[in-house]
Amino acid sequence: MRKYRWGIAAALVLSAVVMSGCGKADGKQTQAVSESGAADNIGKDDRVVVVMGVSSEPEAGFDPAYGWGAGEHVHEPLIQSTLTVTDKDLNIGYDLATDLKVSSDGLTWNVKIRDDVFFTDGKKLTGKDVAFTYNTLRDTSSVNDFTMLDRAEAVDDTTVVFHMKHPYSIWPYTMAVTGIVPEHAYGPDYGEHPIGSGRYILKQWDRGQQVILEANPDYYGEAPKMKRVTVLFMEEDGALAAVQSGQADIAYTAASYSDLTVPGYGLLDCKTVDNRGFNLPAIPSGSVSEEGVPLGNDFTSEVKVRRAINIGIDREEMINNVLNGYGSPAYSVCDKMPWYEPSAKTEYDPEGAKALLDEAGWKLGSDGIRVKDGKRAELKFLYPAGDSVRQALAADTINQLKELGIDGQMEGASWDTAYDRAYSQPLIWGWGAHTPMELYNIYHTMEETGLAAYSPYANQKLDQYMDEALAESDLEKSYELWKKAQWDGETGITQSGDIPWIWLVNIDHLYWVRDGLKVADQKLHPHGHGWSIVNNVDQWSWEP
Amino acid sequence: MKLWNGRKSMVCLLVLFISLLAAVTIAGQLYKTEALVTDFSRKNMPPCFSHPFGTDWMGRDMFARTLTGLSMSIRIGLLTAAVSTTFAFLLGLFAASMGKAADGLVVGLIDLVMGIPHILLLVLISFALGKGFKGVVVGISLTHWTSLARLIRGEVLQLKESQYIKIARKLGHGGFETALKHMTPHLIPQLLVGLVLLFPHAILHEASITFLGFGLSSEQPAIGVILSESMKYLAMGKWWLALFPGAFLVVVVLLFHLTGEMVGRLMDPGALHQ
Repeated sequence: MRKYRWGIAAALVLSAVVMSGCGKADGKQTQAVSESGAADNIGKDDRVVVVMGVSSEPEAGFDPAYGWGAGEHVHEPLIQSTLTVTDKDLNIGYDLATDLKVSSDGLTWNVKIRDDVFFTDGKKLTGKDVAFTYNTLRDTSSVNDFTMLDRAEAVDDTTVVFHMKHPYSIWPYTMAVTGIVPEHAYGPDYGEHPIGSGRYILKQWDRGQQVILEANPDYYGEAPKMKRVTVLFMEEDGALAAVQSGQADIAYTAASYSDLTVPGYGLLDCKTVDNRGFNLPAIPSGSVSEEGVPLGNDFTSEVKVRRAINIGIDREEMINNVLNGYGSPAYSVCDKMPWYEPSAKTEYDPEGAKALLDEAGWKLGSDGIRVKDGKRAELKFLYPAGDSVRQALAADTINQLKELGIDGQMEGASWDTAYDRAYSQPLIWGWGAHTPMELYNIYHTMEETGLAAYSPYANQKLDQYMDEALAESDLEKSYELWKKAQWDGETGITQSGDIPWIWLVNIDHLYWVRDGLKVADQKLHPHGHGWSIVNNVDQWSWEP
Repeated sequence: MKLWNGRKSMVCLLVLFISLLAAVTIAGQLYKTEALVTDFSRKNMPPCFSHPFGTDWMGRDMFARTLTGLSMSIRIGLLTAAVSTTFAFLLGLFAASMGKAADGLVVGLIDLVMGIPHILLLVLISFALGKGFKGVVVGISLTHWTSLARLIRGEVLQLKESQYIKIARKLGHGGFETALKHMTPHLIPQLLVGLVLLFPHAILHEASITFLGFGLSSEQPAIGVILSESMKYLAMGKWWLALFPGAFLVVVVLLFHLTGEMVGRLMDPGALHQ
């Protein structure tokens, strides 16, 4: 009995230690939260706490040369000013610029800039800073293409001239995401201590946790209504937890969470050009690239097969199945953009698709799968491993194609092999940007190989239209050429044309928004579920 | 009364355990195609009569996926445990019967492999081999032989001192011949027990490396894949995605562990007194 008594005493002591340990930990945690600034921002009428995904944190800081704003996922740089801006319909407006002229050969851009803009360290922003920024980006940017720029030149304090290597009519779209950095304060640590002239100042950045932005008191434009913007970086489930515990005012979420309800929050549904689609290699197999990567696919090299797949996919059903209804059908890489060719839209037509496959000689076999010359109609869809939405899109595509008599499998692949394998197999991609350059990147052939960059395909007519579009001095007119590149009445990349890529859906970007927060109207979000939402955070407000 | 003694009930239990494990393995094979079927009309269903383990976000039947995953785990476990055991046996024998230099080499190798954390080495090997089935199998096989090899080596060292081995050597049998002919029969029980006890390790490591994303590919119905996918959905209250596969993984591992212990006790009752 004595022994047991000691045992019990020991257990009591132990549990007391454990519990006090827990208590301490709890205390620390609450302290940490209030320190992080999240807690004391809640409920104030000029502050907002935004939750983004962890991948949205700019790894190299807030330096445009390393992808801030002008990276793979474009957005307004907030801390820096830009020469131009894009409006809600993606038309070009002015920020720093007051006038924009291009020479008739498209090789010289003449930009007048405002005279009344100061960096937050008190120095004036002049043409020199603009020229410095563009010349630096041309030399160092690893994420955005500035190869068309020969040099930028500051003629005087308010005039900048861009000399281009070749005509590039959509230059204003590059200007809209390129933040202007100060020549006098730019160095290797600029990313961590950015100085700009934009609407916000970087107040604090705790890597891996949060970014605090404060309104720039000397901003030359309309003063931001939100004085303090705290951005937290969390995984999807963490973001949900932050909303459920009331720590965030607006938090990103995915369609799979959309059937939950969070008291005090509503779901904001932002339309996007964040599309998902897959490539169909348009040349027969047998050849290899210079690196020895096999190119082409015998089944998808037949244009009738590609057309059949395009009209054989029920996009509405896919949106309901995979996205819980939060999406819109995609027919091109640039739906609803000013350069979108509306005839790309197709109707779901399973009978038509079967007829096309019959025509192409793919007859139904005994197991319900089509065959031609002893070959089965089958496709293996790749998706980036870990992306559950793309996996589900692949699964639904396979289910739908089976109805047409096409057998399918899917396989998760990592990006280090996916690019190569996509030369001979369909891969579920995500695209969508605020520039027509994306059409060029996907469909224009490359000089070295004579094939398009991501999936084997070539059409000289298309190349010609896109080259002309880039050479066109009038932006509005260039849109017509971009449209013609998609379909000119005879050839193109739409259903009646070569259809080397199948576009499935545009994924809505979803956010939990605290009741009372008025999020200003959003332009169509590009690919990347991150900083786009705060493009106009200066115009957000709290309802009284 | 004495008819139904401890040993007999243990044998019965053992048979029961083994047949349970065999049943899971075979059932998993039968459900292989069903486990891959996606049907969006039945997505996110909680457990019900037609889907006892519920369905996931693509409408895949979790019962079929769990069984197939376990079956895959068991088969990978079998393969890797067999390879590991062979490896351990040969190295242990080699170390103990081929002289000082060989012994030093093998002991050094054992210490080297044991010195690096298992999971780290596993991730490295699997990643270097391009992940997937090959990466997992080679990774686990190359990391799990050490403790058994050490055991075999100790056993052989002990055997070397026994009379019948000494006599065999004196009669002119070579080192290798003695080892194979006279020592091996003595080592079989240890090897068998070691083999079975390797299973739980192998299975758990297969699941964890896959969970971490360095193992089997994400379209395969492996337990590690199922569990890592379910993480995201737990926050939404979809508990069935993790509970059943997780619990059954534990059950399978436990069954293997108990089986190993029982085999050990049945084959080598003296082990209890050591």
